[in-house]
Amino acid sequence: MAKQYDVLFRLLLLGDSGVGKTCLLCRFTDNEFHPSHISTIGVDFKMKTLVIDGIKVRIQIWDTAGQERYQTITKQYYRRAQGIFLVYDITSERSFQHIMKWASDVDEYAPSKVQKILVGNKSDEVDKRQVATEQGVKLAKAYGMDFFETSAFTNHNITETFTRLAEQVLAANKKDLDLLQMSMNDELDLAALEEEEGLCNSAAGDQGKGCWC
Amino acid sequence: MSSDGNKKQFWKRNAAKVPGSIQHVYGAQHPPFDPLLHANLIKAGNKPPPATPGKPKKATTFQEFESITSDAWDVGDDDDELLAMAAQNLNIEVVMETANKVIENHSKQQERQRLDDTTELEQREEDTQEEVAEEEEEGEDEEYEDDRVEEGDVTSPEVSFASQSSPYTDGRLVKSHSEAPIGSPKDAASEHAALHRQRSLPHRPPVIPLVARMADQNTSGTPAMTEREASRLDKFKQLLAGPNTDLEELRKLSWSGIPRQVRPITWKLLSGYLPANAERRESVLQRKRQEYFGFIQQYYDSRNDEHHQDTYRQIHIDIPRMSPESLVLQPKVTEIFERILFIWAIRHPASGYVQGINDLVTPFFVVYVFEYIEEEVENFDVSSLQEEALRNIEADSFWCMSKLLDGIQDNYTFAQPGIQRKVKALEELVSRIDESVHRHMQQYEVEYLQFAFRWMNNLLMRELPLRCTIRLWDTYQAEPEGFSHFHLYVCAAFLVRWRKEILEERDFQGLMILLQNLPTMHWGNEEVSVLLAEAYRLKFAFADAPNHYKR
Repeated sequence: MAKQYDVLFRLLLLGDSGVGKTCLLCRFTDNEFHPSHISTIGVDFKMKTLVIDGIKVRIQIWDTAGQERYQTITKQYYRRAQGIFLVYDITSERSFQHIMKWASDVDEYAPSKVQKILVGNKSDEVDKRQVATEQGVKLAKAYGMDFFETSAFTNHNITETFTRLAEQVLAANKKDLDLLQMSMNDELDLAALEEEEGLCNSAAGDQGKGCWC
Repeated sequence: MSSDGNKKQFWKRNAAKVPGSIQHVYGAQHPPFDPLLHANLIKAGNKPPPATPGKPKKATTFQEFESITSDAWDVGDDDDELLAMAAQNLNIEVVMETANKVIENHSKQQERQRLDDTTELEQREEDTQEEVAEEEEEGEDEEYEDDRVEEGDVTSPEVSFASQSSPYTDGRLVKSHSEAPIGSPKDAASEHAALHRQRSLPHRPPVIPLVARMADQNTSGTPAMTEREASRLDKFKQLLAGPNTDLEELRKLSWSGIPRQVRPITWKLLSGYLPANAERRESVLQRKRQEYFGFIQQYYDSRNDEHHQDTYRQIHIDIPRMSPESLVLQPKVTEIFERILFIWAIRHPASGYVQGINDLVTPFFVVYVFEYIEEEVENFDVSSLQEEALRNIEADSFWCMSKLLDGIQDNYTFAQPGIQRKVKALEELVSRIDESVHRHMQQYEVEYLQFAFRWMNNLLMRELPLRCTIRLWDTYQAEPEGFSHFHLYVCAAFLVRWRKEILEERDFQGLMILLQNLPTMHWGNEEVSVLLAEAYRLKFAFADAPNHYKR
């Protein structure tokens, strides 16, 4: 049987309620767009396999509920992520300001080598724009992240954004990857690697502030 | 409830999952064990018991129960009877066989039909006796039995189930009362129930339209209404006609579904919104409706104030993206929902508005809309209703939703402790009722929180079509602590219902995608009734032993 994938990792979508996280994901995985997607409760799951530099990369994407009350639940997913999308809505100044809060939560709860990318969604809604592109660029720079403006509606920059984060995660784990490809030339699971390293092996289901040793 | 061999497994505790332990990982380095081997194992373990009409065999799992009766669902359409069977673990084969014979011969031989009916009755009686005897035996085995009884549901009006399952109770009592919530066997037999039902079976369309049929299918008041449905409706009407409605009786009757025509009033009574005393109802309604619109006057203008704007903003972005299955997307309805939710949220600051609560308005709203129109109409235009009617629907929906939420508020307070607790309880329960499903999910590292969080947060509304939710809520409102406690058993039955599909999935991704998108689109009353019957059986089995699903 042909290998389904060479490497597997987990990405997480974070950002305020209504910025379009689920729409980004649906556009990316199914190339569909529903203008009014039902609100996400807790965490939803999708996956897709990409080929990057000849490596079949299967990504699990966890789509979270944006409302604050859910954060006890959603924070349990941070520590198992290798890559995180921080999403705001260019028509909502508020959602942009909240990126700071999301970023600090990520610093607190996600593994230190997690890769991040800043996403300003709804770039098609030019008339309603409240956040200038330069503001996004500036913030991304301050955090040392890459930045994309996207539109799930027009399918603008969607694949690019997901591929970029996937590449970053690959690069960040290159050492492990090479090591494993040399030793067994088999599929591997970055999540597994990290857990074996003892980086993030607290059982989920505990309270949000589980230990990660 | 189960044979000895099974019982051991049933109560067995798994070793607790140690936090922080290194667990093996799905994926290529740890390929799933041989699928062929596993498939055989499943097959062997899951063989339906051989048909032995003389000797009743107990259905111990949902699968067995289902496999024994799978043919029965197609023919019969009878909630009462199904539920009674599930609760009683009657020998379904015998009953159904007899019933089928009856149908075959009915048109030709009136005489013989009566005879067979009697046989059916006698068979039931026999089975019931055996059931009682076994319960007594079990009781002797279990040292803790009496403790559990005490811990049973003492405050609830239907306490009787828990305590009457006690082996120390008189046998007759056990027999008659254990059937109480689902309609007594006398009823069923004397009405020639099985007979009529199966003859006048309404033919269900192969695909149930998603949008149109809000209320349940069986009692939709169409000309195809069966005699049994008519008789049930009569019973409801009789009960509701008196000066003082016997709520206990109403609960019993409602447990297996409420006819559409009397659902609005029945829901209002069962939720405690309306008093049992008929004379007082009108004044209570008036007062409550006034009170609600008083809140609107007092508070609704504050929705854009600084300390309320987050709440309103969240509601305002959630309503337009609710399920298109309901009427909610009409502008008039959107406004109503926003008012209901905003008022509820600011009057309950401990939780406030939490996404998902918006879903809980829908069943009330839809049911109460149909109080004002004769027939179900596809895409009914709510704005065609009189202003007065709309106001009443709004206020009634608000109060009934408030009553519901009172019972589950800890689902929505900080850190959502109610949900976390229930998801843990679900895990524990499933580990006892279906170890292979539980182990399968553990093997592929699927955590219950990953799929069951939403089941609890939205009371399965995201997993079932609206018509099923409405039917489910008939029972939840008839059950003591239906939304807060019985729901747990329904979730367990729901999960195990998919055991075949679950066991076929061989990786984490497949399992997650299955569990987050369970194929219930075509579900109707039958499926919900089976689910509820199984949930009732589980509740019955665990009611005396609350510690058995807690760590």
